[in-house]
Amino acid sequence: MSGPPARMTVFVAGISHRTAPVALREQLAVEEDKLREILRDLGETGAFGEVVVLSTCNRVEVYGVADVPGEARATAFRQLARHRGIDMTALEPHLYTYVDGDAIRHVFRVAASLDSMLVGEPQIGGQVKDAFALAQSCETVGPTLHRVFSQAFAVAKKVRTETEIGRHAVSVSFAAVELAKKIFAALDGKAVLLVGAGKMGGLAARHLVEQGAFPIYVANRTWARAQDMARTLSGTAVPFADLETAMRSVDIVITSTGSPEPLIGVDLVTRVLHGRRARPLFFIDIAVPRDVAAGVGALPDVYCYDVDELKQVVDANLRERLREAHRAEALVEREVQKFAARLADVEVVPTIVSLRERLEAIRAQEVSRTLGRLGDDASAETREAIEALSSAIVNKILHAPITKLRESSRAGVGRSWTELVHELFGLGRKS
Amino acid sequence: MLVTAALLAYVCATGFALAYLIQRSELLSRLASVAGAVGWVAHTIALIVLAVHEGRPPLQSLSEAMSVVAWVVVALEMWVERQYRLPVLGAFVYPVVLMFMLKALPLRPPVLNGALQSAWIWVHIALALIGIAAFVLNFAGAIMYLLQEHQIKLKRPGTFYYRLPALETLDSLTYRTLALGFPFLTTGLILGLLSAPASWGSVFTFDPVASLSLVAWIIYAGTLAGRAAGGWHGRRAAYFAIAGFAVLVITLGAGLVLPGKHGG
Repeated sequence: MSGPPARMTVFVAGISHRTAPVALREQLAVEEDKLREILRDLGETGAFGEVVVLSTCNRVEVYGVADVPGEARATAFRQLARHRGIDMTALEPHLYTYVDGDAIRHVFRVAASLDSMLVGEPQIGGQVKDAFALAQSCETVGPTLHRVFSQAFAVAKKVRTETEIGRHAVSVSFAAVELAKKIFAALDGKAVLLVGAGKMGGLAARHLVEQGAFPIYVANRTWARAQDMARTLSGTAVPFADLETAMRSVDIVITSTGSPEPLIGVDLVTRVLHGRRARPLFFIDIAVPRDVAAGVGALPDVYCYDVDELKQVVDANLRERLREAHRAEALVEREVQKFAARLADVEVVPTIVSLRERLEAIRAQEVSRTLGRLGDDASAETREAIEALSSAIVNKILHAPITKLRESSRAGVGRSWTELVHELFGLGRKS
Repeated sequence: MLVTAALLAYVCATGFALAYLIQRSELLSRLASVAGAVGWVAHTIALIVLAVHEGRPPLQSLSEAMSVVAWVVVALEMWVERQYRLPVLGAFVYPVVLMFMLKALPLRPPVLNGALQSAWIWVHIALALIGIAAFVLNFAGAIMYLLQEHQIKLKRPGTFYYRLPALETLDSLTYRTLALGFPFLTTGLILGLLSAPASWGSVFTFDPVASLSLVAWIIYAGTLAGRAAGGWHGRRAAYFAIAGFAVLVITLGAGLVLPGKHGG
């Protein structure tokens, strides 16, 4: 059949935390081995030119390039639903579909963690990369999706470096670490005292250790539990009675005991401060009720945060993330526009190439016929002049249609123009 | 002309740097750096042209000296910003630079100081100016420290909490700028006192600039001693840095307005 190349549409279809309840998402999620199988099957159906499937606990999405996106989408989700024994009619109301520019925007936003349940969470980037790598290994990725995903990763990286979307802690224990870093520039070599051997305190201490905090002391009323906790943190257990001595030398104190009364009072801390030469002392009080008395935080060079105050910091961090997400959205939008324009060019490029080839073939044929007829009568100069003349005519003729094709693709009507050009010049189907 | 261009560039740098505080955007930070650098280059050329034209260092009047202080401050700012990776620094330094540049515009026709014959006087002036420039950064560090400390104590993170670096970093910045500025100021003052008999006839002639700078010197010396002896970290050191700088500003202001031996 002679005609324009069928237009391949980029599309995304799927369900996510925005459209489907967790029960349905869990049901539809596919593990890697099965996903490999499904990708191969989809590749063989012929409905897809290219396909990538992303399956996480928050979204199951099919990214495809197809002649008829609706058909490809139906094929894909029939497969996915059948695999988990889900009724298609139950799935249908939760499905969304984006095509062309909207699809590209969606891919960029997902990879940049702008569509995440917790905006800016870092895992999604890796998950998208894994999904893409899996599809590559199954050979269902072609040039278009390759370009789309490569660009999505580049945009995600740009979002991470140019905005603070993932910068601020959104859990209480990480918020404590972040605060510690706003007081002490680096945590390497900062001494930590953990009071109480509870789970939450241990977690916060572990985060500090991961940032280089050292040494770690553990004090607990039950000596054996202090020793256990000290062992898991590669720290040292200190007797509960020596709390005051230990506090003199450390930089950070984490408290998480079950004591009904505050353990650390203003008098105790005032005494401790005397020997510290104004070195800052940071209390992270995770205990409820609190272990550190209310007035301690007002002492000079002492910073004290209880659980509620850490939550306040988390809330502020979340607001900051949303503000940054706003900036990230604008950045992504610019990238989408740029990319869509380039992709549109790609749509008409094959037509431009075959048009050139076609006219060049005609020219070469006619020139050689003329030159053959002239035989030896034509001097080298004449031959050159004929070549130059014919080339000039072809280029002049080509100029307007090529310009028009590029313009039309950017205006989103490339398809009808490529068809027209194919018809007019009798161009063959793209190889 | 060149001075006006430099002043305009510094105004731009101030604007961009302040905007960067509110709206974290790499572009604004880069624009501030570029504007600052452009201003500094224009300023450098302006100073050279003045020096060549007049055939003397551009330090003959206090207003000229103010311009040189601003020039040193901008150079220091660019260097420290790079060293500490501290893009917010500009927001705290450029406004002070502007203040100096405006002071550099003479209020009354410059009184050329006839006393400036001895080479030691030039050294006295140059050293004192470098010291003052270091104290501008000392002041900026102290302001940033207090803002960050306030935010952390307040427990409600706001713009400054997110933009400013750690307290320890800011404390180290104020300490180092103090340690840099103090020897310059000290040597500058000593040279001034030593050459006073030659220029003024006596060390004990009252001069507002000389007297006030002695007050500033005592504040800085006290802070440095307190730091070295331990215990004068953080907030206290920051308050003293601000006090010392306030006295310096008054000193220079007095030199410009009041009659004295330092000229206008």
